[in-house]
Amino acid sequence: MSVAKPLLEYAKSLKPQKGFAQSYSAFKRLLQYHRRYPWHITAIVILAVIRSFLFSLEPLYTTFIIINVIGSPPTIPSNTSLLPGYLLVIILAGIGYAITNFTLTYVHGVMSQYIVRDIRTEYYRALQGKSFSFYDSVGVGDLTSRATVDLQLVDMFLRTWLGTVLNAVFTTIIIISIILPISPLMTLISMATMPLIFYFTTRLWINTMPLFRNMQLIMGRLTSYIQQNIIGMKTIRIFRRERDIVDGFKGVEDIYVNTAITAGKIQSIYMPLGPALLTLGATLVYVYAGITLGVPGSAMAVAQIGYLILFVRYMMRLTFPIRDVSQTLGTWIAAYAGLERVQEMTDAPRNVEDTPNARDVKIEKGKLELENVTFGYAKDRPVLNNITFTVKPGEKIAILGATGSGKSTLIYLIPRFYDVQEGSIKIDGIDIREFKLASLRKQIGVVLQDVFLFSGTIKENIAFGKPDASTEEIVKAAKSARIHDFIESLPCGYDTPVGERGITLSGGQKQRITIARALVGNPRMLIMDDSLSFVDSKTEQEIQSAIEEATRTRTTLIIAQRFSTIKTAKKILVLENGSVAEFGTHEQLIAKNGVYKKVYETQFIQKASPILDEAGGS
Amino acid sequence: MSGSYGTFSTKQEEKRKRTIPDRVLIRRVYEYAQANKRNLQIGVAATIIGAFTGLAAPYMHAIAIDHIITPKNLSEFIWWIPLFATIILGNYVFQYIQTYQMRIVGEKVVAEMRDDMMEKLQVISLRYFSEGEAGRIISRPTNDANTVRIFIRVGLTSILVDVSSILGAFAIMFYLDLRLSLLAISVLPVAIMLVWYLGKYSRAAYRKTLITTSGLTARLQEDLAGIKVTQAHAQEKEAEKKFLKSQDENVKATIRAILIGSSYTPFVIALRLIGTMIILFFGVMALTSVPPTITLGILVAFVEYQFSYFMPLVDLVTMYDQYQSCMSAIERMFDVIDTKVEVVDAQPERSITLQ
Repeated sequence: MSVAKPLLEYAKSLKPQKGFAQSYSAFKRLLQYHRRYPWHITAIVILAVIRSFLFSLEPLYTTFIIINVIGSPPTIPSNTSLLPGYLLVIILAGIGYAITNFTLTYVHGVMSQYIVRDIRTEYYRALQGKSFSFYDSVGVGDLTSRATVDLQLVDMFLRTWLGTVLNAVFTTIIIISIILPISPLMTLISMATMPLIFYFTTRLWINTMPLFRNMQLIMGRLTSYIQQNIIGMKTIRIFRRERDIVDGFKGVEDIYVNTAITAGKIQSIYMPLGPALLTLGATLVYVYAGITLGVPGSAMAVAQIGYLILFVRYMMRLTFPIRDVSQTLGTWIAAYAGLERVQEMTDAPRNVEDTPNARDVKIEKGKLELENVTFGYAKDRPVLNNITFTVKPGEKIAILGATGSGKSTLIYLIPRFYDVQEGSIKIDGIDIREFKLASLRKQIGVVLQDVFLFSGTIKENIAFGKPDASTEEIVKAAKSARIHDFIESLPCGYDTPVGERGITLSGGQKQRITIARALVGNPRMLIMDDSLSFVDSKTEQEIQSAIEEATRTRTTLIIAQRFSTIKTAKKILVLENGSVAEFGTHEQLIAKNGVYKKVYETQFIQKASPILDEAGGS
Repeated sequence: MSGSYGTFSTKQEEKRKRTIPDRVLIRRVYEYAQANKRNLQIGVAATIIGAFTGLAAPYMHAIAIDHIITPKNLSEFIWWIPLFATIILGNYVFQYIQTYQMRIVGEKVVAEMRDDMMEKLQVISLRYFSEGEAGRIISRPTNDANTVRIFIRVGLTSILVDVSSILGAFAIMFYLDLRLSLLAISVLPVAIMLVWYLGKYSRAAYRKTLITTSGLTARLQEDLAGIKVTQAHAQEKEAEKKFLKSQDENVKATIRAILIGSSYTPFVIALRLIGTMIILFFGVMALTSVPPTITLGILVAFVEYQFSYFMPLVDLVTMYDQYQSCMSAIERMFDVIDTKVEVVDAQPERSITLQ
């Protein structure tokens, strides 16, 4: 099967029919964000009215010049004394127009930035509340590009849309209200093509919008296809799938190019129609004016010619708002697809949140009870099955199990990174769902499988869990994590920057900083995932002694990759296929002569066990 | 841990000095257009003719005012109406051809370049994909290709239309009245210099927004990459504070760029109106002198032409930025296409099958 087959099927499955109704509801949702800025909107409306009015003055005063200044010598003498006044009005109107236009663009731009900010903040907050299962399924790159690239498309639309729409409406209204009293019949003739233009513009939109949307969706997928290709290039070379990758790419790209050309064809039919129809309408006005013209050279004929020029020039002026509205519709198509991608994530279910009766609870002792806990990432496919065990305050439990046995999942249930499907977890006799999430998590120190440090100083990273931690607290945590001496040896000590622009730390050093980070809040309970998977034996010793120190008085669940960890644990829990296979002290389990004993013996004899040595949890 | 793939690396790269001259790049892109040479030729021809036919309206109106309506020679409509209708129809047809053909060229050329990049990426040394480079490479067949696609589709056509419109309008104006034409275009140099000069500030402000945008992107990427740590330590509020701060910087920079970016339009509009005023003033003088040296139709045509060449001109000046970033994108795309292959597969007849 070709690598690109799912993508190809996706591209083919995109039906161009739907989209219009969805676009409308997306637009309504976008309008909701505007509600927070009533003053900006008021200003935009007022400025738009003024702008349209000033825009209409130049043709009007040019006509006054034709009628009142030029006249029709010799029958109607010229009167150049009026000329400066008229020209002054034209230039003042022009300056006024320029200033209004500038202010409107600015106010509109400010509002657009505020709205984009609001949407992005909402997106960010929504993401912060998503559970681990959400992040297990989406990539960071994808999530980031939705908040940047896709929102830029929304920004493009927000920058001008309201002003453009208002401009078209007000300019039409103002022009009609000027020319209607002059000649209702001529107004009717000159505006006769307007409904047609409106109709064709709408058709253009309805026909092309789904195509553009499809193009954008396909391009989004193609981009991540290229990303995967480049990131996974080594694997692709090893398995010799290069041909497959390129052919698959071309197949999807073909659909994209054809869709783009189809959309181009529709655009090329409809887009030039508006101006053509307007010019055609102008021709009709000329013919009508010619037929109804009074005696050549008479005052009436002069006025009629002046007004004819006014009508025609107004019609030409209307092509601009029409063109702008068309363009705005184009930006909406792109914005809509972008908005859809942003809100898809905003609206994704949270899975884990505070229950209605959640409260701040202080963990006094740290007794942990799991009762018939069942959990699966997908319904009906449990990863953990009916797990029951109790940990006494201050006890340290080592968890053993093969890859996929559910070790990580099990410990991640305790700070509610995932919620149990059945059964319950209690701390000091209180169901963890009665804790506020923040209150629960702040009291449980967590060392995750991924060693992640934020860019910033070492000090900031250790104090991450407790930003107001004192220097003593930070140093104490670092000492417990056996990293203090190393930090002190650095030229900038605790203020040494780490991360992209900082120094490069070894895996073991990062590991110990994350342990210090978990300890700084002095939590009653500690859960540690896979902390020794990729380190050498010297580092292992260092981390081991850090762990020993850290877990001395705390209720601890630790996933054990090495025997050295198990040695220090009070009890051992062996997981097999999501169930508790054995649970007890070292001596009890040895006496039991089961899985643990087998592992224990291989560990001693071979120094490596098939179960224990497998890196990576589940 | 966090990969910065695509998007903003391109923009950071834009500051890099370009090494290949434009004409070389254009010639090479033109080679890609060879497969669709016909479409390109038809498209360009239709664009130019379409722009010229689009200019006919004010001139035809002038004829109608001066020779048909004012003297009430209605019989002249017999040739005027069909001629004008033909021009309008022709204009429509040429615009249709232009839009359609240029679209085909734009999409196909970029698709072919993208295909070549993809082919090349599969065979070049793995060294090329070392850490940190991935983001830059990814943006070439995606962001860069898209920049070029949009430029061929919109920018190239606009440049052709603008240049044809400006030259056409000048030709007609000079044909109609030399003196009034010279007066009309007298404000042009000022306008061009102004747009160019203010454009520099606007570009600087725009670059500033790019910097804050990449700062915001980096922040987002780090926050999301470390979200599990943040949640584990219940530090969502702290993270949000930092994010909002970085976002506010971006909002401020963008608003500033909008302010500066739109600052030259009032000047351009004012200059255009000064041009209109000059035409009206001298036009009316010429019209009311005895005997009149121009006609009413010509005066009105001048006012309209002034409107129709001023905007394309401003358009052209602002198009310069788009042209520059398109050239950089093309250069980067060729950079991938031209990468030397270090490990070459043996000829098929010489390949060995392991038994």
